[in-house]
Order: sequence, then C-alpha cells, then structure tokens
Amino acid sequence: MAEPMIKVRSLKMFFPVGNNLLGKRRLLKAVDDVSFDLYPGETFGLVGESGCGKTTVGRSLVRLYRPTGGQILYRGVDIAPLDEKAVLPYRLKMQMIFQDPYASLNPRMTVSSIIAEPMRLQHAPQETIDARTLELVEKVGLKKDHLNRYPHEFSGGQRQRIGIARALAMNPEFIVCDEPISALDVSIQAQVINMLEELQAQMGMTYLFVSHDLSMVRHISHRVGVMYLGHMVEMADVEELYSNMQHPYTQALMSAVPIADPDQAAKIQRIVLQGDVPQPIDPPPGCPFASRCRYQKPVCREVRPEMREIAPGHYLACHL
Amino acid sequence: MNLLEVKNLNTSFHIGVGVVQAVRGISFDVAEGESVGIVGESGSGKSVTMLSVMGLLPEYADISADSIRFDGREITKLSKKAARAMHGSEIGMIFQDPMTSLNPLFTVESQLTEPLRIHRHMNKAQARQRALELLRQVEIPNPEARLKQYPHELSGGLRQRVMIAIALACEPKMIIADEPTTALDVTIQAQILDLLQHLKQKTKASIIMITHDLGVIASMCTRIFVMYGGVICEQGSAREIFYDAKHPYTWGLLNSIPKVTGKTGEKLIPIKGTPPDMLKPPAGCPFSPRCRYCMPVCRTYMPPLTALSDTHIVACHLTHPKAPKITKGV
Repeated sequence: MAEPMIKVRSLKMFFPVGNNLLGKRRLLKAVDDVSFDLYPGETFGLVGESGCGKTTVGRSLVRLYRPTGGQILYRGVDIAPLDEKAVLPYRLKMQMIFQDPYASLNPRMTVSSIIAEPMRLQHAPQETIDARTLELVEKVGLKKDHLNRYPHEFSGGQRQRIGIARALAMNPEFIVCDEPISALDVSIQAQVINMLEELQAQMGMTYLFVSHDLSMVRHISHRVGVMYLGHMVEMADVEELYSNMQHPYTQALMSAVPIADPDQAAKIQRIVLQGDVPQPIDPPPGCPFASRCRYQKPVCREVRPEMREIAPGHYLACHL
Repeated sequence: MNLLEVKNLNTSFHIGVGVVQAVRGISFDVAEGESVGIVGESGSGKSVTMLSVMGLLPEYADISADSIRFDGREITKLSKKAARAMHGSEIGMIFQDPMTSLNPLFTVESQLTEPLRIHRHMNKAQARQRALELLRQVEIPNPEARLKQYPHELSGGLRQRVMIAIALACEPKMIIADEPTTALDVTIQAQILDLLQHLKQKTKASIIMITHDLGVIASMCTRIFVMYGGVICEQGSAREIFYDAKHPYTWGLLNSIPKVTGKTGEKLIPIKGTPPDMLKPPAGCPFSPRCRYCMPVCRTYMPPLTALSDTHIVACHLTHPKAPKITKGV
C-alpha cells in the first residue's frame, strides 16, 4: 500500500470544564489517544454516537483545534504543535464540509463571494477568482445565475453544494466531511453522496467522512473506524468491519441500525445496550465501554485495552 | 374496525406571501391495534396531517375535511371543549425533540400528573401513584428520584421515555409518534423502538409513526403511507411498499438509501431536483417535475387513486391500462 498521507498518533484533545470541589481542573477528554492513518485517495469513515469525539478528531486534523497531545503527521511533518501562522500553508491543502448548511454559510454574502473567499484571502488575481468560481459552481451542479444570489434562496441540498464548492476552491488534497448529509432529506442525501464520490474519482481527494449514519458510511468508505467515548475501539476495511466485527460496542451499534427491509428487520437479533453513554469528564480507567458491555471482566475496569492488529488491517481495542 | 377515519382532509396556512397548501385532500383510515407508518420528506405534509387530526395547529391554519371520525365519533362536529377532552385522554402524542416538548420549568412529576389530574380527575396522591407506575412501565430505573427531577437533568433517551409515559398516562386508544427517535443516537433509538413495540403489545393501542427513516418504518409498522407534496402517493402493507412499490417516488426513496445487503460500490440513485414549493404546488401530480417517467398528462391532472389490492392504493398515471408498462422502476 502507498505511504499514508496523514498519520495520526496518540491524538489527545482535552477541554477544561471548570474546577472540582478541591479546585482541581476537570477535563473533558473528547479525544484520548487516537491513532490511525489516512492513505491518499481513500475515504475513511469515522462512526460513533454523539459525544464520542468523532467531530473533534476531524476538527483537530484540519487544525481548527490545537491538540492537547499527540502527533498529526501530514506528509511527514507534525502539524499538531504548530502555531496559527505556521500551520497556514498546510491548512490550504485541507478543507472541511460542515454539517449544517444553514449555519455554515454567511447569510449576508452572495454565493460567488462565499466560494471566492478562500481565494481572495490568498490574494489570487481577480480574473483567476472569477474563472475558478464559475468552474466550481458548475462542478457542483449549480448554475451560473445562482452566483449572485444569497444562501437563503437555496434549499438544504443546494446549500451543501455551495459549501462543497467553497471547500474545493483551493484544490485541497484532503477534506473532512463532518456529517455532510445529516441535515438533508433522504432523496437529497443520495445526490450529495454521489457528488462527493464523483469528485473523488475526478480529483483523487482523500476524505475523512464523519457520520453517525452507519449504512451511508458503509456505502462511501474504504476503511472505517468506530469511536466510543474518545477512543478508537475498532478499525478495519469496510467489508471486513461490517462482516466480521469483533468489539462488543461495534456489534451493538451495528445491530441497532434500523434496516429498511421488513423481512431482514424481522430476522435481526438486536443487541439493546442498557443505559446511556457516560460523560467523558474525568473518565474512569479501564475500557471506556466496560460499564455497558455484556462481556465485561474485572480486568476491563482496570486496564485500558491496547489497540492490536487481529487480522491484516483489522485493529481492535478489547480484552476479549 | 377502524379507529380513525379521515376523509378528504385539506390543511392550508395563510402566510404573508400566499397560501401554503400543506395537505391537499387526503383520506385514510387506521384500524384498532394497527401500527401505521407515514413516510415522507420535510414539507411533505406528514406532520401537519396528524396535527390537523389532533387539533394542535395554530389559529391561522385552515383545516377542512369531509369527515374525521375517531372511535365512532365525528371530531369535526364536536365542540372545542369536547374535542379537547377527547384528544387529551384518548390520543397520546410523542414529539420529536423531548428537550423542547417538555417544559423546562416543571418537574417530571408535575408534567406527568397534569393529564391525569385534568382528564382523570385524580387527586395528588393517586396521580403520583399512577405516575410511578408509568415510569416503571417505560422502564425508567429509580422512578421515585426521577419524579423530582427537571428535564435538563435527564439524558435524551430518558426524556423521550418520560414523553412516552406522558402520552400513555390516560391509557389512549391511539398513539401518534412524530419522529420519536430522530433526535436520538442509534443505540438509544433501538432502546426506544424496543420499548414502543413492547408497549404496543401490552396496551393494544394503535400507533401512527411519522418518520423519514425507512428503516424505522420497516421494523415498526405493518402498513405504510408514503406522502409527497401534501398527498398520499402510495399506501400499502409494509411488504407491498418495500417489495412491490408502484409509485416512482417510492422507488426513488428506496433507491436513494444504501442497500443493507449487497456489496458496496453500488451507486445510489438519487431523485433529481428538489421537493415542490407548497405555495404554488404543481398543477398535476406533485412528483411530476422530478419523475423520470413523467408523461404530459401528469403535469396537468392529479392522478386518480388506483386500488391494486385491499391495502395497496397508488396515485399514479402509470397505473392506467394505456400507460407504458414499467416493470422494475429505478
């Protein structure tokens, strides 16, 4: 396999959330010791429930956050500790598509100025900007006369296309898609997914696809990582993961997905997890999933399971 | 026997720039103990349909129907007070977002006992007793402590359980669940769907499930209404809709979600275009501008309802004997 484009090693992102009774800082460990590789041209799906840290991983990779610890090796350079100014040249190659197409576009800017903004900030000449903006709107399936309109004149799916055009403006190598379809209607979701796939085929971009929609992740990803409470618990090629999942959390998560097929749905044995996801504030030692796991042993409460390779390319963090 | 019968329901909203025709002449019925699903995208009229039946729409909504019968009584003819008493005690409603539908200023106890005291005229102690029973029924651990808590102290899943307990409080004959699990994580969603299944068997109430998630519908409902542009474009049993759909919109919906089985790398087939603007809906079939099988007649005339079996009814010109035969739609 080719050399990874981005290597993430022991990434940590903690947020302070006030003090406890003794005046000691409490930490919300949104991402704790997460490692994975991203290969050029692939789509890596990151799944998990709300609060598991998947969005934080995405945002850390494009350095919207400065990680608390660990390394993000982008083509061999560790961009995690760089300051705002030093990170800029790398950020040009990484873009982000946001979840909410209503909140991520400035309502006071026209479509053309939204798409042109990244280029303007790079002091590109006006003729280049104009030509490129036109090229981009056509690439994402909008029309030339849409350029002078404002975001409120568009539907959710069209807005998401504007967001994608903006992300493409600087010819990025890597795009973090943070729940790009969860705010869209079913029939529109497929439009956006197909477009992302076509763009990848044309331009060879790498995607980190963050989503809680497990069937869509299966559809679009080459490899998938499952996160729980700030930790990566399992990671494998998409077919391997969906057919041979090992972690009890992955199994519960997959079985919980409602299947749009009555006969299949009747057959499935659902593993219903008890209780809610615990808070990632000052988490206990041991396996993050221990409190809800059906198979937990005493060791699970005390020792954090290490990530190990159980089959080629299939990584698992579980004591079992 | 039919618990709910709706005939020719029309609901529109007068807003500054015109009239939004949210629901345009739909008729359906729900049998006792049946679980029915309404699927459709945002703006298809699925929520407004049920809110119209429940009388929960604001004053400026214009609701008209030939008949809405619930449990043998004509709702449209009831006085406001009588209708309210009936809605409150015989139909339970579960909303999408338990954070906004529970009142943050009142404890679980006061919100859970309110319907009991109003509709069942219980005193405080009786209502409290029943409230505890309800919390146990929705499988909330430690119900005594939960009664004293406020909604913000509960997780999303627990809040939705409290919502369900409120809906069940007066032992309704019908429960309307409007996107009950959309705001929840998938493992919590599985818990709630499990609970609803379980409660349905126990209480024998009919359930109407409104959702955009075909997966939720497939596991919960025996009969399905597919709504688009304010009309029911196809209705049938779960098997008829999932395996033998006849309306191009239903085909489109089923094709735009990834297949459960089958390999990845198969392309999704999206529906082109965007849903209609209900301020000026298309003259003919509402789906005609996006339909790949659209014929000239579709743009001018609303298709008639064609019954293909006792349960399977389709509104599409393609079912006409002279229309081109499309065997397997994409």
